[in-house]
Amino acid sequence: MAPTGPGTALPGDLLVELSGITKSYGPVKSLRGVDLTLRRGEVLGLVGDNGAGKSTLMKVLAGAVQHDDGEIRVHGEPVRFSTPSDAQAEKIGIVYQDLALCDTLDVASNLFLGREPKRGAFIDRRAMHEQAARILADLHVKVTSTHQEIGTLSGGQRQTVAIARAVSFAPDVLILDEPTAALAVAEVESVLKLIGDVAAQGVGVILITHRLQDLFRVCDRITVMYEGQSVDDAAIADLDIEKLVGLITRTPQPTRTEGSRA
Amino acid sequence: MSTTQTPPEAPAGPSVQRLARQRSLWERTNKATLVMAGVTLAVFVFFAAADSAFLTFANLSNLATQVGPVLIVGVAMTFVITAGQIDLSVGSIVAFVAAISAQLLVAGWDSSLVMVAALLMGLGWGLVNGWFTAYQGIPAFIVTLATLSVVRGLALFQTEGFSVPIASTTFVAKLGTARWLGFSATAWIALAVVVLGLVLLHATRFGQYVIGIGAAAESVRRAGVNVKLVTMAALGFSGLAAGLAGLLIAARLGSGSANSAQGFELTVIAAVVLGGTSLLGGRGTIVGTLIGALLTQIIANGLTLLSVSPYLTPIITGAVLVLVVWVNLRGRDLAWFVQRLTRRA
Repeated sequence: MAPTGPGTALPGDLLVELSGITKSYGPVKSLRGVDLTLRRGEVLGLVGDNGAGKSTLMKVLAGAVQHDDGEIRVHGEPVRFSTPSDAQAEKIGIVYQDLALCDTLDVASNLFLGREPKRGAFIDRRAMHEQAARILADLHVKVTSTHQEIGTLSGGQRQTVAIARAVSFAPDVLILDEPTAALAVAEVESVLKLIGDVAAQGVGVILITHRLQDLFRVCDRITVMYEGQSVDDAAIADLDIEKLVGLITRTPQPTRTEGSRA
Repeated sequence: MSTTQTPPEAPAGPSVQRLARQRSLWERTNKATLVMAGVTLAVFVFFAAADSAFLTFANLSNLATQVGPVLIVGVAMTFVITAGQIDLSVGSIVAFVAAISAQLLVAGWDSSLVMVAALLMGLGWGLVNGWFTAYQGIPAFIVTLATLSVVRGLALFQTEGFSVPIASTTFVAKLGTARWLGFSATAWIALAVVVLGLVLLHATRFGQYVIGIGAAAESVRRAGVNVKLVTMAALGFSGLAAGLAGLLIAARLGSGSANSAQGFELTVIAAVVLGGTSLLGGRGTIVGTLIGALLTQIIANGLTLLSVSPYLTPIITGAVLVLVVWVNLRGRDLAWFVQRLTRRA
């Protein structure tokens, strides 16, 4: 799926490097030193138990939360995000779990919310629907019409529209927070396929999920977090589901696990 | 319904066209509005048959004048309700603007200045409502309930409850009696406001954001839209419309009274909701508001012609409101029922 395998990536392919990221909320240390790398065209699974700090880390990367210490490098350049739009300017997109869609607006209006194509003072609906249709067709998103109201779509369709919206900003990095939670089986398939398609376009995708079987379907690599730290980084080929569970729960496994940090 | 399997992807070209194809007129029509249009037509036909005076040009022109203020404020209220807010203060703003405008004319202000002042007073109260609602986070229901009381109170205080006459030589008074093609200035202005509302709600970003805010304000905010400003603008718009209505009512009556437009806000909200705009926000229709305003005023006008006790009018209007909202809520069941009937036939 990825143009180059994770092992053969050139340094120029590195999109994001996080090192030693920390974040405290008062006395609570949410992040206690996280390292993470993401390459172009790669799908990285970010796993860990509840409270491990996955969502906080992704909010840091998306500019919604400001970290205390550590370094974020995007394309090798150190950056610091004070607002979500700073992160957007560095072409980092995120789809939150609640999707941020408007139920009573149609598909095209949701895709272009906040940046509707205009002709004079008026919305150019024709252009908006044509561009929306092109975006959806490119990503093979299964909706019957761009005029459909979002509220009438299934959970999976809504998820794919939300991802399509994020992708239409042409991000280099796309963060997906639990995109397959609470979806029917067939819908999970279409979301996973979409993730693969997006990565194939050269976008680096970070996937947060509790559905471990999904990780084996689309991910190239897994980063494991435990109590605010990144504790393991492994190619998916070296793992099976039992090893992965062991990495997440930090219970000793009979087999060898490879860890970048102890 | 949505679980049907779509066939394997067609080539990109035709698929893009298929996706972007406009839906049929039937699919796009707000069904609640359609039901209302039917009810309005039925009521219209009923009164036309019941009283020969109803279908005369003089009465229809009079009806258009009566509908005018409700329609002007109703269009603006459609934006407020679609954005998930409510404005209870419009009746008080109408009375305030009517009374104070009349006083300004008595004080010797020129009509042109008074007209500008009337609009600014309405807009000002609307922005007060909007600022407290959008920027201070107080529910619009509470804010406008307070201004409902304060604004009419100020007008009463200022005029001591007396009706202030407007000299018939002033331009404002002439505006009140002016006719063009047999219809009053109020009717024509209301028509212009309807067209403006249609364009604003359905063809501009502002309208799009108003609908979006009513559906999910947080989603619109995350899309980078200034949600607070849009919300304040919607409430400012309804204040402005109330100011315009207040001026036109004073002009038509030839006097401004702090006691006018009692319960006006409820008539307006009823018209908007009857038309199919959702009180929960996120769904609004200007055409519906036009129909809703017509229906409420046709009932009032028709019952007056039939010399029914005037006390019966609010009872019938209220009953129609409940009936129609009930039909709209059960609309899907009703459509299903009709479908079943036609299939069997």
